[in-house]
Amino acid sequence: MHRLPWWMGAILMSGLLLMTFSVFGADRPIGASTYVPYFAGILFDLDPEKYTYLKEIKNSGAWEGVMLLGVLFGGFITSVFLTKTFRFSLIPTGWKRYKNNSVLSRLLWSFFAGFVMIIGARLAGGCTSGHFMSGMSQMAISAMIFGTVVMVVLVITGKLFYHTKED
Amino acid sequence: MEIIVKTAGEDLPSRIAQMFESVIHQGHGSLVLVFLIGVIFGGIIQYTRVDKFEKIAGFAMLKDTIVPKMLFLTVGLTSIGLYFMVEAGGAHYHIKPIIWQGLILGGVLFGISMAILGKCPGTGPVSIAEGRIDVLVGAIGGLLGGLVFTLYYDDIFEPLMGESFGKLTLPEFFPGNEHMVVLIFGITVALIAILIPKVEMFDEADLCKLPERERLDRD
Repeated sequence: MHRLPWWMGAILMSGLLLMTFSVFGADRPIGASTYVPYFAGILFDLDPEKYTYLKEIKNSGAWEGVMLLGVLFGGFITSVFLTKTFRFSLIPTGWKRYKNNSVLSRLLWSFFAGFVMIIGARLAGGCTSGHFMSGMSQMAISAMIFGTVVMVVLVITGKLFYHTKED
Repeated sequence: MEIIVKTAGEDLPSRIAQMFESVIHQGHGSLVLVFLIGVIFGGIIQYTRVDKFEKIAGFAMLKDTIVPKMLFLTVGLTSIGLYFMVEAGGAHYHIKPIIWQGLILGGVLFGISMAILGKCPGTGPVSIAEGRIDVLVGAIGGLLGGLVFTLYYDDIFEPLMGESFGKLTLPEFFPGNEHMVVLIFGITVALIAILIPKVEMFDEADLCKLPERERLDRD
C-alpha cells in the first residue's frame, strides 16, 4: 500500500481548498453532501419547481454533482494506478475484527447509516467537507458547533457500537 | 454530425444535461475546472487512504488518528491562507448560518452514522470508486435519505432546523484584532494536528500485498 503521509495530504488539500475559494478558481467552498438530494431529485423524477428544497439547492447541487463525478474518476484512477488498492469487497477488515463476520449485518448497517447520514448532514447544512474543512477554515461559528458535536458523538458511538476491548 | 443536447426535457438524460448546463451558467468555475476539483479531491483522499473504514471508524474507536491530524492541519493552513486571500480581494467568505437545532440534531445523526459507516459524504464516493460494495449500499441508503429530506422538507425538516442566529465568525468577536485572532487560530489548530499522538489501525488486506520491508506496521 503506497500512500501519502497525512501532512502531505493536508498541504495538498489546503491548496485545493484555496484554489477553489479563489476568484480565479470557483469562488465558492468545497462541499460534498448537497449533491445527494440533488441526485435523488434527478433519479426519482421530482419536479424541481414543486419542492422548496430542490429550488434551494438548484445551483450548489449541480456544482457538487459535477464535482462528484470527478471524485469518482479521481478515486478510481488513483486506486488502480497509484495505490493499487482497487478490489471488490463487501465487508471491511476492521468490521470483521471489532463487530462481526456477517456480510448481511454490514450491508444493513451501511444502508441505515447512509440514510441517517444524509438526513443529518442536510439538517446541519453541511458535512465533513462543507462544515469541518471549508467552514472551520473560514472560522465560522456554525462549523465549530457542528464539528464539536460530530467529534463527541463519533467517539461515543465508536465505544458503544464496536467491541473495542477484545484485543 | 450534429450533436443535439436536450436541456429542456423531462427524461433522465436531459435532467442530467441540465446539471451540466447549470454549472456552465452559474459562474463558479468552468465545467472542466469543477470536474478537475473533484478529481484532485478524490485523488488526495484516495492517495492518503483516509477513506478507509479503519481510518474513520478507527478514529471513532480511538485506535487511529490520521483523519483528525489531516483535518486539523488542513484547517490550520487554509484558515490563514484564506484570510489573507480575502483581505487581498482574491476570495470571498461563504459562511453558513448558526442554526442551533439543525447543527446539534444534524451533528448527532451525522456522528452516529459516520462511526457506523466509517465514511462521510466526501470519502464515501472514493471508497465506491475503489470497489467497496458495502459503501455503495450505504450510498443507496443516502439517496433515499435525500429523497425523504426533500419530500418532507416543508413539513418536518425545515421546522426541525429552527431559527438562524446569523452568520458569525470567530474574528468578529475581537474587533480590531482580526489579524491576530486569525494567526492564533490557524497556528493553534495546526499545532493540535501535530500534537495529536499518531495511532494507526492497519488493514491486513492491504498490508499483505506488500513485501515485508515495506509494511507500514513494522517500524
